[in-house]
Amino acid sequence: MKLIVAARTDQGLVRPNNEDNFYISEENGLLVIADGMGGHASGEIASKMAIDIIRDYFDNIIGEKEKLIGKYNEEFSETTNRVGSAVRLANMAIHEASQSNPEWQGMGTTLDAVSLNDKRLSIVHVGDSRVYLVRAGYIEQLTDDHTLVHEQVRRELLTKEEAEVSDMKHILTRALGIREEIDVDLDELTLADGDILILCSDGLSTMVPDDDMLSVVTLVNDPAAACETLIDMANDNGGKDNITVIVAYIRKSNWVSYLLKLLQWFRR
Amino acid sequence: MAKILLKFKDAVIKDLPLEKEATTIGRKSENDIVIDNIGVSGFHAKILKEGENFYIEDLNSLNGTFVDGKKVSKSILNSGDVILIGKHTLEFISEEHRRDEGIKAPIRGVSMDETMVIDPREQEKILTSTEKLEVLGGFIIIEGSTDMGEYELKERVTTIGKDESAGIRLKGFFTPKVAALVNRRKECYFISPSGKKPLKINGEEVTQRYDLKDGDIVEVAGIKLQFYLKE
Repeated sequence: MKLIVAARTDQGLVRPNNEDNFYISEENGLLVIADGMGGHASGEIASKMAIDIIRDYFDNIIGEKEKLIGKYNEEFSETTNRVGSAVRLANMAIHEASQSNPEWQGMGTTLDAVSLNDKRLSIVHVGDSRVYLVRAGYIEQLTDDHTLVHEQVRRELLTKEEAEVSDMKHILTRALGIREEIDVDLDELTLADGDILILCSDGLSTMVPDDDMLSVVTLVNDPAAACETLIDMANDNGGKDNITVIVAYIRKSNWVSYLLKLLQWFRR
Repeated sequence: MAKILLKFKDAVIKDLPLEKEATTIGRKSENDIVIDNIGVSGFHAKILKEGENFYIEDLNSLNGTFVDGKKVSKSILNSGDVILIGKHTLEFISEEHRRDEGIKAPIRGVSMDETMVIDPREQEKILTSTEKLEVLGGFIIIEGSTDMGEYELKERVTTIGKDESAGIRLKGFFTPKVAALVNRRKECYFISPSGKKPLKINGEEVTQRYDLKDGDIVEVAGIKLQFYLKE
């Protein structure tokens, strides 16, 4: 399986700066999104640090002995554990940085990292950015929001309708950089030819309903154009937060795609 | 600052700050809060301050002490709790422990539009321990040709179909790549039809998402499966 991916980020219409960051690598099959928070523009620093550390981790810039961080989870593959370690490393680094600089105190970031290894997708998640799977005309959120409101809904302390209008929607129960140790959600999924992945910050998911996202990615069929359309929609609906979106189309690697690659190479 | 509003038939009689470690309530004049009523024992109950928390303790009174309608011997007080002693009510009000707005206290002065994280200890106060158990479900194949006889549904989305990466992989020339999708949520599973093949649950065709229950019989693309759930 391979990814055909594009990503876009936009400040939105209300916020004075963009605290979102992302990283995509078709070769490594790695997609990462982070939505930072904190005063004095430190949210930007936290999300940037998270992205850089995870990228470096996969580019093998970080030494071997620092590789496994936290407990190895036997339930999941080595790849998933690797991504989990990368995220834990990022947490440590952000936490340390926030302790060393008073202006950065309390900075943090959400994080979603997915890695495609042949057919298996590894998902590592902290915070309220989201990973969606679009398959056979349905859209499904693959991550649980680490927000107070979501936890309350899950425990039936709030209804979904009450949650929609709650003024506590932005309160996270987990984020990178806040504490020395972090509990990350790990998950795995087998992908099929034709699947579509969407990773987005809450600036998209709070502005554009899931079903609209589904329509865009299935109709547009081009990752860059889909990202742009989604960002325009979020801004049309108010653009209350920074908006970042990654759209990836999953395709079977076959001889046609190799031929196309070769053709592109010749065209250069 | 925590305080007690002493009321009789909805009229506030007194507004009493809770400053001491122990505040006694009773009919006799030695008490901090005196309620001169025949239904109240001489030394009826006391409110204890332990660290951040306040407790009401009944002192073996004849008619008992009630918090929000329940008889208590000792009970933690949350802001807004109503204590009933005789015919009087004592409303407990605390800035620090406002149950409904508990998390506003630590983040006061910050716009609610900003994203922020709260401390796990604060979370516990708001979320209480009502977490549901995660369930695991699966299918047992009753009829039809599949690659296995039984499937556990561990992934968030499992495909039933001929597709090579389908979780429940079907054979047969006319079988669609994706016949149905099964979604796993923390507390439930549901199935949605896909493509042109009809999906039947317990003999009846479904056209949209269906919440699976233990024992449901699913028929799709020439196979028959039984759904099970275990805790």
